[in-house]
Amino acid sequence: MFFHIYLERNMQLHPRHFGPHLRDKLISKLIQDVEGTCSGRHGFVVAVTAVETIGQGLIRDGTGYVTFPMKYQCVVFRPFKGEILESVVTMVNKMGFFAEAGPVQIFVSNHLIPDDMVFQSGDVPSYETSDGSVRIQKDSEVRLKIVGTRVDATEIFCIGTIKDDFLGLIGNPGGGA
Amino acid sequence: MSSVEPFRKLVKLVARAFYDEEIPPKGANRSKSDKSDNRGIAVVILDALTRRQWVKEEDLARDLRLHPKQLRRTLRVLEEELLILREHRRETVKGAKIYNAAVAAVSEQPTEREGEEKPKVHTHSYCCLDYAQVYDIVRYRIHRSKKKIKDELEDRNTVQEYICPAASCGRRYSALDALRLINVYDGNFHCELCDAELVAESDKLAAAELGDGDGEDNARRRRREKLKELYDKLEKQLRPLMEQLARVKDLTPPDFGSLEAWEKKAIATGRLAGTDPSTSDLSKPSHGQGPTGTPMPFLGETKVEVALAGGDSKKEEEKEEAAQLKVLPPWMIRQGMNLTASQRGEITKQEVKGEDGVSPDGPDVKDVKPADEDKEEVQRKIQEEYLKAYYAALLQRQQQTEQQAAQPVTAETPVAATDDEEAGERQVGMKAKRDASDEVEGEEEDEEVEWEDATAAEPVDTTVASQDTSFTNGDVPDTAPDAGGEFDDDDVDWEEG
Repeated sequence: MFFHIYLERNMQLHPRHFGPHLRDKLISKLIQDVEGTCSGRHGFVVAVTAVETIGQGLIRDGTGYVTFPMKYQCVVFRPFKGEILESVVTMVNKMGFFAEAGPVQIFVSNHLIPDDMVFQSGDVPSYETSDGSVRIQKDSEVRLKIVGTRVDATEIFCIGTIKDDFLGLIGNPGGGA
Repeated sequence: MSSVEPFRKLVKLVARAFYDEEIPPKGANRSKSDKSDNRGIAVVILDALTRRQWVKEEDLARDLRLHPKQLRRTLRVLEEELLILREHRRETVKGAKIYNAAVAAVSEQPTEREGEEKPKVHTHSYCCLDYAQVYDIVRYRIHRSKKKIKDELEDRNTVQEYICPAASCGRRYSALDALRLINVYDGNFHCELCDAELVAESDKLAAAELGDGDGEDNARRRRREKLKELYDKLEKQLRPLMEQLARVKDLTPPDFGSLEAWEKKAIATGRLAGTDPSTSDLSKPSHGQGPTGTPMPFLGETKVEVALAGGDSKKEEEKEEAAQLKVLPPWMIRQGMNLTASQRGEITKQEVKGEDGVSPDGPDVKDVKPADEDKEEVQRKIQEEYLKAYYAALLQRQQQTEQQAAQPVTAETPVAATDDEEAGERQVGMKAKRDASDEVEGEEEDEEVEWEDATAAEPVDTTVASQDTSFTNGDVPDTAPDAGGEFDDDDVDWEEG
């Protein structure tokens, strides 16, 4: 689920950036530092949308670096148990398959894949139905439901299932259903 | 007693539900073929334990005619299952004596084995049912088994587990670890420690039984049916147990505490000859007869001191009853309870005789119950008599007051007669008035005179009362303005501050 929240961060800036573009430099550095990171508390920071305030800088003794307390608005993405996500398959093996929904990695184990889909090893490992109408392989688009999350300080990992109504393949690698 | 019986039944049901079969030996050291057939022994032992509190394992073995080793093996399993508490302690004869005393106190069983104890330090084991734990354990067990089947049946929302097949490792991983486990070369899961390829855990109930003989589809359907059947069977067979669990839910389980605490308590209750049927009932020995062969229908009620334990229990019983009779009457004899007291004496005598007559049959729950009821009945009768006498006295007094009220036909007096508090107040007022007016007045000997006085006094009295109220009313406003003034002062203070 996506959230638009306020966060704070202390940015350290090298003295060489002090000048007319100090503010721009700070913001670009913030975006660089923050976007794409993951915290267990808030989830993945997807994008910084606005910088609310930049506080007074504090010169650190001995280094010359200046610390600016910054308050910014950003979009975060945090997966929850029971959430439905659309994802792209990244790897298929006999234990199940891995998929990505944006930054989050999801594993779907083979007993959470419908019973009528069986693993086909070979050149392109895949799960497919006996009549071959549905085939999940690398780069397939899959709609899945999250049944478990593992949230660490700096990473989030999920387990998904496609064994439910309206879940499963929604797009083939080439594009189109 | 009410809370113990359901728990006993629960234990018996549990024993039959889960320990009826041969208990599979746990652990490697016991995997060597047990030649002895111990099927059903757990049931026997648990049943025996429901009739005891703390019991020495040697005694239990002797009572059950089991070999101590065999008994201990089963007990160990039961202990691992958290059904029973066990305690081991090294003790000399003295320690054993404490236990024997406690047993004697609880069960009135003559302690004849004191003599056979050798003056050596032995390690003795004791065991006892832990009813509270049994209740929790059984609920948990049922919950787990149901959940397992249900999860498998619905086959979803389960996090797959993976096991390292290497015998030395055997680590388990959940699907949540998948990212770390994946091997970049072959794309399979490998153990973090020994790098062996992991296998999916498959402790499925149905899958194990059914081979994948024919088509995958067919097998799946059959598995589902099998699971459903299994679940229904579980529900059906555990229903009595579930019902018993529900019944027991709000009861407090009997708690005997640790061995030491129990010993102390048992001895103390034995000394006091207190009647605590709920705990003492448990002690009823299963084999029914004490070593002397005397049947003991009254095991629960009688508490015997150790020194007296060898004697005939009946006499002590009677003595106790008599003592109770002596203790009870004094506070009601003056109410004219002579009759009931004698009645009670008769009843108890009859009761004792009746027991003597019945006794050859051996101890039976039925024998204990009527005695209990009789006691209760006696108690109830006493209370009834007391109430009757109390009401009679009350009625008498009321009549007196009514007579007093009937003679002078003033407006106030009936009110005074009916309303106790008001009457009390008024009388106090009247007395004060009388004291003030004429102190020579006799106390209630001549009613007419008195009531004439009363009528004369009444109006004055009321005025006094009204004055009183006005005073109190006056007081309240007095204080209120004061308080207000203080507040005002406070305000001023605050302004100054």
